[in-house]
Amino acid sequence: MQLGLDGRVALVTGGSRGIGAAVCLELARQGCEVAFTYVGEPDEANDTTSAIEKLGRRALPLEADAADSAATDKAVDRTVAELGGLDVLVCNAGITRDAVVWNMSDKAWDDVIAVNLKGYFTFNRAAARLFKDQRRGRIVNISSINGERGKFGQANYTAAKGGVNAMTRTLARELGKFNVTVNAVAPGMVATEMAADLAPEFRNAAVRESMLGRLADPADIAHVVAFLCSDFARHMTGQVIRVDGGQYI
Amino acid sequence: MFEWFGKVNFCPHTKVDGFAGHLRAGRLMGSTCTACGHLSFPPRADCPACRHGEFEFTEMSGRGAVMTFTTIAAAPAGFEDEVPFQLGVVDLEEGGRLLASFGDTVDPEKIAIDMPVQVVPRLFEESEDIKVHYTLEIPGTTWVKTDPE
Amino acid sequence: MSRVGIVGIGHTVFGRRSDATVQELAFEAWRDALADGDLDPDVIEATVIGSVPEYHKQRSLAGVIQEYLNLNPKPTWLTEVACASGSAAIRTAWLSIKAGVHDVVAVIGCQKMTELETPEILALMGRVGDVQWESGFGTTFPGYYAMFAQRHMHEFGTTAEHLAQVAVKNHYYGARNTKALFQKEITTAKALASDPVASPLTVYDCCANADGAACVILAGESAARKMGGDRVVWLEGNGCATSSMSVLRRPDLTGIPSAREAADQAYRMAGITAGDVKVAEVHDCFTIAEIMAYEDLGFCGKGEGGAFVAEKQSYIGGATPVNVDGGLKAKGHPVGATGVSMACEMVRQLRGEAGEARQVPDADIGLTHNVGGIGQYCFVNVFKKD
Repeated sequence: MQLGLDGRVALVTGGSRGIGAAVCLELARQGCEVAFTYVGEPDEANDTTSAIEKLGRRALPLEADAADSAATDKAVDRTVAELGGLDVLVCNAGITRDAVVWNMSDKAWDDVIAVNLKGYFTFNRAAARLFKDQRRGRIVNISSINGERGKFGQANYTAAKGGVNAMTRTLARELGKFNVTVNAVAPGMVATEMAADLAPEFRNAAVRESMLGRLADPADIAHVVAFLCSDFARHMTGQVIRVDGGQYI
Repeated sequence: MFEWFGKVNFCPHTKVDGFAGHLRAGRLMGSTCTACGHLSFPPRADCPACRHGEFEFTEMSGRGAVMTFTTIAAAPAGFEDEVPFQLGVVDLEEGGRLLASFGDTVDPEKIAIDMPVQVVPRLFEESEDIKVHYTLEIPGTTWVKTDPE
Repeated sequence: MSRVGIVGIGHTVFGRRSDATVQELAFEAWRDALADGDLDPDVIEATVIGSVPEYHKQRSLAGVIQEYLNLNPKPTWLTEVACASGSAAIRTAWLSIKAGVHDVVAVIGCQKMTELETPEILALMGRVGDVQWESGFGTTFPGYYAMFAQRHMHEFGTTAEHLAQVAVKNHYYGARNTKALFQKEITTAKALASDPVASPLTVYDCCANADGAACVILAGESAARKMGGDRVVWLEGNGCATSSMSVLRRPDLTGIPSAREAADQAYRMAGITAGDVKVAEVHDCFTIAEIMAYEDLGFCGKGEGGAFVAEKQSYIGGATPVNVDGGLKAKGHPVGATGVSMACEMVRQLRGEAGEARQVPDADIGLTHNVGGIGQYCFVNVFKKD
């Protein structure tokens, strides 16, 4: 599907693998120059960079920890400086540190909130400053169906994702008048590395839960993200779009 | 949606309603009479020269000169958090006149009669409702124009 | 066509009248006017009320007043042209007598300004400009006159000192008027040191809100002579004009075009020139307004208003005494009452009843200049004593 994104510049956080990498490639396929952040794993970052460039678009890998707000501001500045601007922000970088609440340490809580919630806030803030003055922009925050329902062992993760959903709605209200849409995509279980680390019974449970009897590919998420970045979705804002195969209806 | 115009709006309904939408897109519009070509700013549906009732919006450059000004120290309702602020009346290059507040690029101490200014369309950013207005800035100030709906 | 004269005047104390409703204030002025003219209320054929309704909680004031004055079923209605509402009421009564429909008409200008809070009043008064293109930017009434003052200073070198002189003069005379809101003299230094309102105008450049009422009873010539004898003061010139409401459509902001036009009409009708005026009441809602009025009325040349007051030409003993009852500045400005208050002062002066402290000697021709809003309306009246 031609989405009319030719020549736009996108920044994807956590873009070196999983959903983030799939989003980078789909946006590149649609014509975007793509910057992406990553932490550690330089080989994966290189793979993503090559894949983007093979599609004939420029790539800008940026090592930046989403929990570090100075680094996130710098990442946005560098994207603008080197790729000539910014039109799309996709926040995706996320971690898990599961534990039942009575066993969950301060650090497990703090680390997940720092990357999954505050990290989204700092990138959203930097993009908002830019987008409101240029009177156009797209923000897509990758959330989770576990931001809307409780998930055993994920007090920290569900709190962060629930927070991302709320923040997305607020930013949609604040930025709408500037022609900027802010939406969230809420996947269920996606066949990524993060999921591969889980025991098989968890993956099977998700398949059983899904009305479509399958897990998502990262590309399934990336397609919806790309659509939200296009003008076809110009009248959608403040929404949390579940792309979960019917896991949570 | 003329109710978008002004920090407070007392005039939601008018025949020149489209003015506010154009201002939102970054365009300052006067009106041109379709019968005799008379240009008015502020725009008006009823031609003062020939009484014809149809007009077209015409984009103004926004360049002009201050013909008088004042610093408001005692606030009217709705502006209590703004005082003191400077208001100016500007004679526009193409004709017509407008009243607006001075913006951030202008040093209040330097405001003087005959000073050249640029009228710049603005959105009130920190309001959830869409509110548009314009401010008086130093010549050469730029702003983003978008396509009107 | 017969002359029209004033046969009775009444005037309340202007001030914060938390003790009375607007109809109770109207009654005070009415009672005093009847007493002043030694008149029976039965001679009154109609009333005209000058008031600005937006300041009151009571809707449709004229009817309420007519009832309270016990004047049903005599006709009445309200005239409103902002701060000139009182003069509009006088003109209406004058027209009805000139047309031969009525012979004796009472005019009551009345207003309570204090039913609203100050920011509401400021916003309301600021809406006297163009609400579509101006009020959304935070205009205020003093703001408009401040912008006139900036132009006047720019073109003619008028100074803040000149403005302060107007306030000093009017407070001087206000201190000699028991009906005035402010009963104390002020110094130039005090005026110059007061808080800014809208640059260059400070608190002492601005008239104060006040509550009050005034009444004049007009009669056609033969009725006036019968009732008033040699105390009748004649309304010989009645001029009325408008200017554009919006400053955006007024070419020159250093004067009020409607005032010049209304003055021309009144002078012509009364067969006089500016130099014949022995005493005047002008609309000093702000000090700059009085300076512009000297020029608009021809008491001095264009741009010379500052020098006129600095040289004390508008004091008693000067070329044209102006506002020797304190003006709006010291009396306060109950908007609907002001025009009628001005007429009362003319009657007192021309009868020789203004009191030693502020009687203009040999005053036989007087003028009132009452402006509505920022000059969209102006009424100029010329009074004569036989």
